[in-house]
Amino acid sequence: MKTIWPILGGLVNVAMVLLVAPFCEGVLRKVTARIQSRQGPPLRQPYFDLLKLLGKEDIESGEAPRMQRFAVYLSLATVLTVACLVPMGFAAPLNGAGDVVLLIYLLTLSGICTLLAGLAAGSTYSLLGISREMMTMIALEPLLAVAIVIGAVHTQSFRLDTVLNGSVYGAGFPLSGLVMLGVMLLSFQAFVQRVPFDIAAAETELMDGPLVEYSGPKLALFKYAQMVRLVIYSGLFVALFVPWGSGLVFPLGWLLFWAKVFCLVLLVTVVAATHARYRIDQAIRYFAALLVVSLVALILASYGR
Amino acid sequence: MIARERLNQLVKKFGDGIRRADLPADNRLFVYVEPSGVKPVCEYLFRNLDARYVTSIGTDDRPFSGKFMVAHNFAFDRDGILCGVLAHLPADNTKVDSISDVVPAANWAEREIRDLVGIEPVGHPYLKRLVLSDGWPDGVHPLRKDVAWDFVPEGYDGERGFKFDDPPAGCTVVPFGPFHPTLDEPAHFRLYVEGEMVRGCEYRGFMAHRGIEKLAESVLTYNDIPMLAERICGICGCVHNVCYAQAVESAVALPPPPRAEYIRTIMLEIERLHSHLLWFGLACHIVGFDTLFMQSFRIREPVMWIAEKISGNRKTYALCLIGGVRWEITPELKAALRAVLDKLEAEWRRVIAAVSKDRNIQKRTRGIGVADKKLVKEVGLIGPVARAAGVDIDCRRDHPYAAYDRVDFDVITENGCDVWSRLLVRAKEVFESIKIIRQCLEKMEPGPLQTEIRDELPVGRLGLAAVEAPRGESHHFIVTGQNNRPRRWRVRAPTYQNLQGVPAMIKDQQLADMTISLGSIDPCFSCTDRLETMDLKSGATKVWTQEELLKLVRARAT
Repeated sequence: MKTIWPILGGLVNVAMVLLVAPFCEGVLRKVTARIQSRQGPPLRQPYFDLLKLLGKEDIESGEAPRMQRFAVYLSLATVLTVACLVPMGFAAPLNGAGDVVLLIYLLTLSGICTLLAGLAAGSTYSLLGISREMMTMIALEPLLAVAIVIGAVHTQSFRLDTVLNGSVYGAGFPLSGLVMLGVMLLSFQAFVQRVPFDIAAAETELMDGPLVEYSGPKLALFKYAQMVRLVIYSGLFVALFVPWGSGLVFPLGWLLFWAKVFCLVLLVTVVAATHARYRIDQAIRYFAALLVVSLVALILASYGR
Repeated sequence: MIARERLNQLVKKFGDGIRRADLPADNRLFVYVEPSGVKPVCEYLFRNLDARYVTSIGTDDRPFSGKFMVAHNFAFDRDGILCGVLAHLPADNTKVDSISDVVPAANWAEREIRDLVGIEPVGHPYLKRLVLSDGWPDGVHPLRKDVAWDFVPEGYDGERGFKFDDPPAGCTVVPFGPFHPTLDEPAHFRLYVEGEMVRGCEYRGFMAHRGIEKLAESVLTYNDIPMLAERICGICGCVHNVCYAQAVESAVALPPPPRAEYIRTIMLEIERLHSHLLWFGLACHIVGFDTLFMQSFRIREPVMWIAEKISGNRKTYALCLIGGVRWEITPELKAALRAVLDKLEAEWRRVIAAVSKDRNIQKRTRGIGVADKKLVKEVGLIGPVARAAGVDIDCRRDHPYAAYDRVDFDVITENGCDVWSRLLVRAKEVFESIKIIRQCLEKMEPGPLQTEIRDELPVGRLGLAAVEAPRGESHHFIVTGQNNRPRRWRVRAPTYQNLQGVPAMIKDQQLADMTISLGSIDPCFSCTDRLETMDLKSGATKVWTQEELLKLVRARAT
């Protein structure tokens, strides 16, 4: 009986993100359209888009078709696994199965899937895309890792349920936690790969970069993974930085969690709609500055501030 | 007369080298020289008298004079003179000294003459095929008069590829185009990339062959051509329409009535309004700022509607005939146009106020795609690209046509030489256009729309006309002919020169800046890809051969 609950919880989380992610995308598109004085597609459009792509012919156009297929499956599988490790209105289902280090690894793996996908496609544009993706990853992943480690320092634990519960603030509001909140807000667009940091895909420069050779069902799964990514990172952000109310009784805490996620999606939308894309060198300089700040926050945290 | 002064300077320098000179008007100068004199005269004009290079034309004049002819056109922008240096070549020796080493801007035009007319520019630094498609057999020159407009040459080789230069050591090749989300039309840049840095490129364009000039010279008549000219470009078509009409009118000295001139001015400025707003939106889209893209297009839309109200079409106004215009601007249209302008001005002010403070856009555009004064001179860059480099040229003021000499406006210049400056120039020109249209509406008086033409147009006259298109100066050259059609008509669209500056603009900057740098000249490939006959398509792929494609197309058609 004991093993059944984590499995059920995991399934609930996976089902929830799979259901909600396209809706979030729909909200994002609709709000973007309104900002741009357009009508915009109906909220359910992303579901139809996915279905349509899934129903298309599966064309193998890249250099290494098997690797391409594998990268796609792995990409979606990784983000869905992460979904089981993030508390979404109740404790993380696979709480005991791993710690925050596993979480960091899995998040990195989802980035590596993009590299793999681009590499397997093997076109010049996808290779340019993955070289940008790689540079972004190297500069970006440490930011989240530092945030999690700061939480771990404050709570003296690597356990998921301890860290993913507003741990960056520990007890009270230490300076390091607030600094890290700022850093994460400023880099959040990059984690979810939206303008101004959609540099690796950069439609008007690289024609979607790593995904340039993907079509039909494979593209559908990749797009799905990207939509899920937005939800997962929003969930992580909520868990780390705005955990209040998550302890409420079942429907309340759960509803509150999704409300917070939607607020983040709206924020992402507004920022994306009001910015131009940065160049990779400008972005890297920006991330490097954030990294320095986050390291200062880490030092502060280790002194208990 | 300044034209005479210039001629005297030339005569003083070259003496008998100048065989003949025509001054058909105060602002036109045609100088005939021996083939051997072409290069020194052009060098003197370009370097010593600081004339701006416009274009070169080759023509097969054998049925009339038994000779070939080359013309190199220059402009004295301060003096308001358009000038042609012409030389006749014997039919059995179609060679002339290339001027490209002293006038680099002539590079493309001379290669084009070689492709289409078969006049060999001797000493040209880069004699590669430019205009003809890859499979076209050597030695067949479609613009020669003995080649019929529907001629299909023997030995067309659809499999023959284009031989590109070798990339420099250490560079990988990134193919950009023919199909790319930011290219609206086919063009191919072979970029040499080192990491993220572009170290050089080779351009292969001219992929859409429509045979427009050939059709005009062999099938259509004077008053058909304006409608065809308009279809050269989907954005600045009216410019070509007006420019062609003006070239013929200047050749045969047939001024249009004043009201027609005002209407031409109004339509040209309406076109500039919609073109600049379109460019602005696309530029924002290229750097990923889609909100401004959409807003810019929303603001632009009423301009399209008013154009439709006036001419019946959003684009392709079918405005001009020789000696006049076809559409009247009625009092109701005047009122509607004024309302559109007021709304546009208010909305555009708000956009510009927001953009000029936006550091995000400046980060992507400042210091990018640099074209300085020297490059402008050497490559003959024009329009907003030149004005953004502080070169104060605008043929609306320098070579006034239509009603531009009767309205008051400023020529906007900036000194940044970069994409940001071009953006500012275009943004501010929107206000100038609004100003011009308002003055025209104010000043235009009732009168006829069309000058009456009693006789056939005289034969063998030369006509030059320049019209400031939204993206730079369009230039039309015409030789009038028999059978109610021109003997030769040559179109030089602004992108033809501006595109030649792009390799220098994108060199040694990031690949990410390539698209916005190219976009910043407001490229219009269809204007450039002007020539050639027939519906042959090169570019057969592994899956579809050219024959299969043709078969497929024809099967669908029946």
